[in-house]
Amino acid sequence: MNKKFWLVSPPVLLLIAFCVIPLFIMVYFSFLSDGADPHLTLSNYLDFFQKGFYLKLTWKTISTSLIVTIICILIGYPMAYIMAKVINSGKTIILIAIIIPFWTSQLVRAYSWQNLLRDGGILEMILRKFHLIGSEPLGILFTQTAVIIALVHIFFPYMVITIYMSLEKMDHSIIEASKSLNAGPFTTFWRIILPLSKPGIISGSILVFVPSLGVFVEPRILGGTKGSVIGTVIEDQFFEIYGWNFGAAIAFILLMIVLISIAILSKFAKEEV
Amino acid sequence: MLKKSLGLIIIFILLIVSAFGCSSSKSSTDKGKKELVIVNWKDYGSDDPAVVKEFEKKYNVKITHQYMASEEELLTKLRTGGVGKIDLILPNASILPVAIKENLLEEIDTTKLSNYQYIFDQFKKLPENQKDNKVYAVPWVWGSTGLAYNSNEIKENVDTVNILWDKKYKGKIAFRDDFNDAVMTAALALGQNPNNPSDLNAIKKKLVEQKQLNRTYWKTGDEFSKLFAGKQITVGLMWSGQAAAMKKNGEPINYVIPKEGAIGWVDNWAIVKDSKNYDLAVKFIDYMLSKKFQEDWVKKGGPNPVNIEVTKNLDAEFVKQMGINEETIAKLHFISYHSDAEKKQWNEMWQEVKSQ
Repeated sequence: MNKKFWLVSPPVLLLIAFCVIPLFIMVYFSFLSDGADPHLTLSNYLDFFQKGFYLKLTWKTISTSLIVTIICILIGYPMAYIMAKVINSGKTIILIAIIIPFWTSQLVRAYSWQNLLRDGGILEMILRKFHLIGSEPLGILFTQTAVIIALVHIFFPYMVITIYMSLEKMDHSIIEASKSLNAGPFTTFWRIILPLSKPGIISGSILVFVPSLGVFVEPRILGGTKGSVIGTVIEDQFFEIYGWNFGAAIAFILLMIVLISIAILSKFAKEEV
Repeated sequence: MLKKSLGLIIIFILLIVSAFGCSSSKSSTDKGKKELVIVNWKDYGSDDPAVVKEFEKKYNVKITHQYMASEEELLTKLRTGGVGKIDLILPNASILPVAIKENLLEEIDTTKLSNYQYIFDQFKKLPENQKDNKVYAVPWVWGSTGLAYNSNEIKENVDTVNILWDKKYKGKIAFRDDFNDAVMTAALALGQNPNNPSDLNAIKKKLVEQKQLNRTYWKTGDEFSKLFAGKQITVGLMWSGQAAAMKKNGEPINYVIPKEGAIGWVDNWAIVKDSKNYDLAVKFIDYMLSKKFQEDWVKKGGPNPVNIEVTKNLDAEFVKQMGINEETIAKLHFISYHSDAEKKQWNEMWQEVKSQ
């Protein structure tokens, strides 16, 4: 028997025991009916697709995640570019500064945003000092905007780091070659740098988009009355009414959305440059 | 073949390790002593070290606490081998009828409880605690979900639940994100029976109407305190216990039971079927109902006592605000038992309101 294969068997077994099997248990639950005498049924899935508001929430979740991903690219790309190509020293410090927020709990960060964004809060005070807003309240907290701000803050490091790595790998002489062939900065960026950093953007997008689909802490704490997303629906199913079967069905639908979006994004990555 | 056997070994080891985790550790010094096994919430009165010590000394017994994270978990514990091992539990109305029906509880002889006579009558009448005139659960502590408001901001007399629908306070109201509280509060405002609402559609409409006026929904008590302290809200649904604690901390908060009534809850002691320490369990319940214990706990910030005698030694203003008197208790609608199907329906309606 192959010796190397041996070495990976413990993690593979752990994965099977703690990831694959529980996943199948979840799928099994999602086909069970409620009540004292459960039997296999499709009703959990039918319920979901028959109620308009679940579909509405699903679309809201997907569109929010898309917005978050796009903002992350717009912020993350220039930052990664500066780190990889413009500056020579201080990269480590910037990287550490990006990673440090990872050490804080998600809940603490959500509450911190609440303090920053609330009416009469720090952000309002600063903006007023610079006469950027009048005497009216800021009105950002408990809106969709607040949720998006918090999610971008949480997930953009994934984007920066993956794009940074793909840019860092890039051979600088290619850029020089482009310049020597008389390409302007825009052409160089559009035809050389961007295509070569595409794998980084794609994997960054997966790392941002996928977890954004499942969030429930930020929407609940910062989204106010409009905070409902598919994640909070699943949370309520499990914690409020112990509706494991229906909860598992929604979670499985979410998993399908994740797999489909990963498939689409990976297809982009494979396309001819 | 080797790979397969290694996998089996690992699974075997995992099983052994998890089996060890399940067994309770008994220290050798306690051998021979009777052991009273109690399932309760963590840090919830009965597991206070001083309280435990006093009882252990008096009756030469060892008390072991196990903790639950939800009522549902407690029910599962009883169904899967808890009977015969656990002596005392703290169920509420959400699981009591099921537990009694499935024969998981022992009838309690209330004549053996010297303090039973001091319990407010209304609590003794709770339908979920008995079956066929037999008592299966003894009320212990209770609380309510009423209105709390900032007394610096609101000077008018607050006495109606309709303040949550008052456009004057638009953007300053905090409703609770909880399907049970939502349905029951809307039912109160509409004059329906909160425990058995007749028209869920009207309730849905009422809740959608309410939604526009909110600053936000709150879920955990911590969220409410932060919103209140940060002056983001001036009025909202709140629990009696937390309102009292916030007032103690100097917040300008007033707690009111509206004239339409409010939601109430009760935690009860029950003895598990086939308990080997039935008499001891009864003595422990009696001790939990005693004036001394009930008074000490409420003064430390615990929930409201069921013992009438305790109110005499408490601050009159506190007693009035918390509504620890027959008149106010009579206005409370204690959360009754609801079937899973009913809870599912309520929850779904609430999700729909929130999604709009």
